[in-house]
Amino acid sequence: MKNFKKVALAATCTAMLGGVSGVVTTANAANWLMLQGTERADAAPRVKLWGFIQAQYQKDYSDRSPNGYVPPKLIGPNLNSQSGFNVNRARIGLRGQGMPLDGKVNYFLLGEFGNNGITAGNGGSANITDASITFNHIKGARVRVGLFKTPGSEEALQAIHVFDYINFTTMANQGLLERHPQAGDPTGPAQPTPNADMNHFSRSVGAFRDVGFQIFDTFKSAGWEHSYAVMVGNGNGLNFGDNDDNKDTYVYWSSEKVFGGKGGRRQGLKLFAWNQSGKRTNFNDKTQEQDRTRSGVGVKYLKKPFRVTAEVMTADGMIFMGQHRPAHLYNNEEANGAYLDLGWYIPNSKWELDVRYDTYTRGENHPTSGANDETEFNTLTVGTQYHFNKKTRLNMEFAMRDNKSDTPAVETENKGVSDRFAIQLTHIF
Amino acid sequence: MKSNLIKAFALLAVLVTPFIGSQAIAAKSFADAKVVLQISDPNPFKQTLVLNVASNIIKHYGQDNVEVEIVAFGPGLRLLFAENANKGRIASLAGAGVTFSACANTTRNMGKKLGHPPALNPKSVTVSAGVVRIIDLIKKGYTLVKP
Repeated sequence: MKNFKKVALAATCTAMLGGVSGVVTTANAANWLMLQGTERADAAPRVKLWGFIQAQYQKDYSDRSPNGYVPPKLIGPNLNSQSGFNVNRARIGLRGQGMPLDGKVNYFLLGEFGNNGITAGNGGSANITDASITFNHIKGARVRVGLFKTPGSEEALQAIHVFDYINFTTMANQGLLERHPQAGDPTGPAQPTPNADMNHFSRSVGAFRDVGFQIFDTFKSAGWEHSYAVMVGNGNGLNFGDNDDNKDTYVYWSSEKVFGGKGGRRQGLKLFAWNQSGKRTNFNDKTQEQDRTRSGVGVKYLKKPFRVTAEVMTADGMIFMGQHRPAHLYNNEEANGAYLDLGWYIPNSKWELDVRYDTYTRGENHPTSGANDETEFNTLTVGTQYHFNKKTRLNMEFAMRDNKSDTPAVETENKGVSDRFAIQLTHIF
Repeated sequence: MKSNLIKAFALLAVLVTPFIGSQAIAAKSFADAKVVLQISDPNPFKQTLVLNVASNIIKHYGQDNVEVEIVAFGPGLRLLFAENANKGRIASLAGAGVTFSACANTTRNMGKKLGHPPALNPKSVTVSAGVVRIIDLIKKGYTLVKP
């Protein structure tokens, strides 16, 4: 009996360490839609406190423009220097099932206290980024309501604390991270230093989020996981309320061959496609409305030690043309972008090597010029990650940028744009 | 002749007894491998933990040589809700001989809060009171483990 008690104790200890026998296998079905929008049925706490901190240092090696430094050569969100330490993200949130006896309803609440486009544009030091309730009553049609990430690009939809790089691709930064200017935002030529910090809008960036409702679910079949999402939202970013009668629609599909693992670094081969479509009302001329459409397809392969992600996007209408001319955002131009990301987890080590090439071309249909009035952004980023543990890691990256424009004023800003170094520590709790 | 038979029988008995003894001891130890696992905690991690423990016990002894019963009551009864995320593992463990007992008292009280009785996993059996079930099993030689 003593031996039996020892075995029972050993079994308990092993189980606590996560040892699961071969008798039963676990199946972890998760993807970004499910990870962010749902909880494990009847197996979630009433309140789970969680969050993460990211602290970084960035250094831009660009050359001085004739009158000083302009935003492409300055570190955001403050845009007043070429180097600096920053706590760019400090998020704390709560999630769970408010009434544990009813596992069909869950919530997700997250706030941002770091210094980035979410807070710097808001004029304060904190902002709510997610506040949603999910109803899981109908099989095949879960309903999520509130403020949350919109279904779309892999780079935008994924959880930022497991993002393999520090800075976004230009495609995500300019094409997807929507700016929401308002009356009173300074307009005019790009301001060089020491006034370059005027080159930002007074409201938060959209942070790939919207307020609305989403119908979604995931279906498993023969080792594949098929997911869909259809969302209708205000098209007004993090702002709780709407600013016009137009609504955005979002559709998303993914099919993933699941290899194993769970959570944000689950291994698999995922194919995905998405579309976002809406209209915006010009804050300067409220009789003017402008389309904003984004579409993309991509693939993500992750099976250690290798990772490959590729995505292409096209954009019509509402193409971001720079922080200094908010009214010019209400245009009807075109853009397209793409990126290819490769990762290698060095076997038997905590190191990971990353390389990413991204390209973005905007202004392909510039209304005020002849043909070929385009601006092109090409960036090659090499990086490495050191995983102290599953919750703590160090990112380092070096981005080699090559920008060129057919528009003289933009080309002046781009001349001298050069490399950028960044190092960032992430800790998740 | 009679004395020779007695001697032969005695010798046989001496030779065989240790073997029979070891068999009996082995059989007894298998029979003693009976464990009741208690889950009454609201922490969802405990759900995973109690299933892992049951799994590991079965792996060690073999499913034919051990009796495992998981008794759920209080907040721990959520483990045995019909739609619980662990229902796949519960079905698998039930197939391996694990018994799942749901407390009727808890079910009734939860039903009052919900407005209807919670739907329970069909692999579970209802017992009148979880804690009484544990006491009864202990009396029958089960070892209580509360992960």
